Amino acid sequence: MTTTQAPSKSRQRLLDALNHRQPDRIPVDFGASPVTGIHVSCIAELRDHFGLDKHPVKVTEPFQMLGEVEDDLRDALGSDVKGVPGRKVMFGFENKNWKPWRLNGLEVLVPGDFNVTVADNGDILMHPQGDVTAPPSARMPKGFHFFDAIIRQNHFDPEHLDPADNLEEFGPMSDSAIDDIAADVKAANDGEYALFGNFGGCALGDIALVPAVNLKDPRGIRDVAEWYVSTRSRRDYIHKIYERQVEFALGNLERIHARIGDSIDIIFLCGTDFGTQSSSFCSVATFNELWFPYYKQMCDWIHGHTSWKIFKHTCGSAARFFDSMVDAGIDIVNPVQCSAVGMEPEQLKAKYGDRLTFWGGGVDTQQVLPFGTPEQVREQVLRRCEIFAPGGGFVFNTIHNIQAETPVANILAMVNALRSLE
Amino acid sequence: MTDLKKLHDAILTGNAKAAGELTKEALAEGANPADLVANYMIPAMDEVGSLFEAEEYFVPELLLAGRAMKAALEYLRPLLAASGAKPSGKVVIGTVKGDLHDIGKNLVAAMLEGAGFEVTDLGTDVSPEKFVEAVKEKNANIVCLSALLTVTMPAMKTTLEALNAAGVRDRVKVMIGGAPVTDQYAREIGADSFSENASAAVATARRLVSE
Repeated sequence: MTTTQAPSKSRQRLLDALNHRQPDRIPVDFGASPVTGIHVSCIAELRDHFGLDKHPVKVTEPFQMLGEVEDDLRDALGSDVKGVPGRKVMFGFENKNWKPWRLNGLEVLVPGDFNVTVADNGDILMHPQGDVTAPPSARMPKGFHFFDAIIRQNHFDPEHLDPADNLEEFGPMSDSAIDDIAADVKAANDGEYALFGNFGGCALGDIALVPAVNLKDPRGIRDVAEWYVSTRSRRDYIHKIYERQVEFALGNLERIHARIGDSIDIIFLCGTDFGTQSSSFCSVATFNELWFPYYKQMCDWIHGHTSWKIFKHTCGSAARFFDSMVDAGIDIVNPVQCSAVGMEPEQLKAKYGDRLTFWGGGVDTQQVLPFGTPEQVREQVLRRCEIFAPGGGFVFNTIHNIQAETPVANILAMVNALRSLE
Repeated sequence: MTDLKKLHDAILTGNAKAAGELTKEALAEGANPADLVANYMIPAMDEVGSLFEAEEYFVPELLLAGRAMKAALEYLRPLLAASGAKPSGKVVIGTVKGDLHDIGKNLVAAMLEGAGFEVTDLGTDVSPEKFVEAVKEKNANIVCLSALLTVTMPAMKTTLEALNAAGVRDRVKVMIGGAPVTDQYAREIGADSFSENASAAVATARRLVSE
């Protein structure tokens, strides 16, 4: 099934930018993926500000407590992209049967299987697959804003590690899951927005996923530090995991594509962070040995069979990997953390502007957006657009999700700065 | 006789098993614990730090070297304590209230331990009161605060206020670090220093205790 109607302005804008042509205006994404989203509390404030229909906001990504950007807010923010996530959330239950819940006093809606307990110290504990009889897999400190994984590392014998233990959460998708994706893509495909698919299964060693907060009793290497160590000291084991993961991913992508064709424009490949604030988690040589072949396999299949553009997220000082990412076939990098070492916008645009689309880089969420003045936000947004926008290859997004407690005045300063460029 | 260069190399290459065994062997042969630490282990960790700065080592290598250092220290710690050997300084370290991230904090703790500091790791989501209590109990002279999140950075300021209120701020140097943390933020909240990474934290701690 391929979309044959003329693309809408929003979709065309995205396609122009992704194909390195100058769009009519800078395309914008707020909320189409779990790394380009907005904390539910900020969404509630924005809806109030814009005078939109008053109702509790759905928490569509409950790990980071990101809220749903509905069409009315998407239009108010000038966003051009709609996300099509898989139905299962990180905790292993589905986004359905919504029920009310209170997050620090704010009424929100959460999935029916969002079942939490409260620890003695008041922390909120999340249980995998919504099963409160299973030990908790994530914790939200009392009064704070999102969850983090509880490390559940079973004893393992380093001499007898079985890659299958780290593959429990991967495998061929069920027919019903593929049906759901097809239905969701169809429902989202209203001709207005570009569509961003995020169906899971392609992430290689994403440290947010390694602890497997969706599994009741995860086996294999699940401790974050142990995983990092393993990328150095147990490479054969990691290779075996990635090899099998890619087999599953390619099978799933083929089945998904057979159902949805080129209805989506962008596919979320992987969220593994390679950069830190001032350096990286590994050398380029290690990247080329341990990740590149698998990314290339997946990208080759996607480019060989679909028109989807491939989106790769990596925080931090990641520019050193961009040549390899381009060679692997990655089209889009995110979040373009310009505050990290070696990520100066001018250099990135000059060196990679014709080969990579920068999806992000619009404004710093570590300092300027949460702590700056509206004027500082405006200045940075305008400057970043001036650098990144010429010739396409730029989709405006904050550098990673808009965090809780970000002043709404600063978010509006960003939106108004973008509007001033139209 | 144990070739002590091998102990140095075991730590440098992150071979915890070898580091432990070589230390055990050396002690059995009558090696001086303080000599092992000062002349083989700390220089190895210093080299690890240099390789990290030069971007030849990365987080995994730091973690492995830290584990090897720990494996050797398991045998040495009781002997050093019994001999009355003084640590380079006494550090209390933790991730601040509301923040559960600990990779960076653990790396700093491991590198400081590797540099001869006595390190008390309070873990994550540590309240200001716990930091105060630990400073008093351990008689610490350095406090290291870590935060990964913009929403938990303010807890660094609250912790400094608690140290002040408890009357112990003057006897400790406070170092802060974490992805969103900056030198400017350290100055704003009255911390003594900001460190960009685990290797820099060792140099900072050494400087602060010598002041």
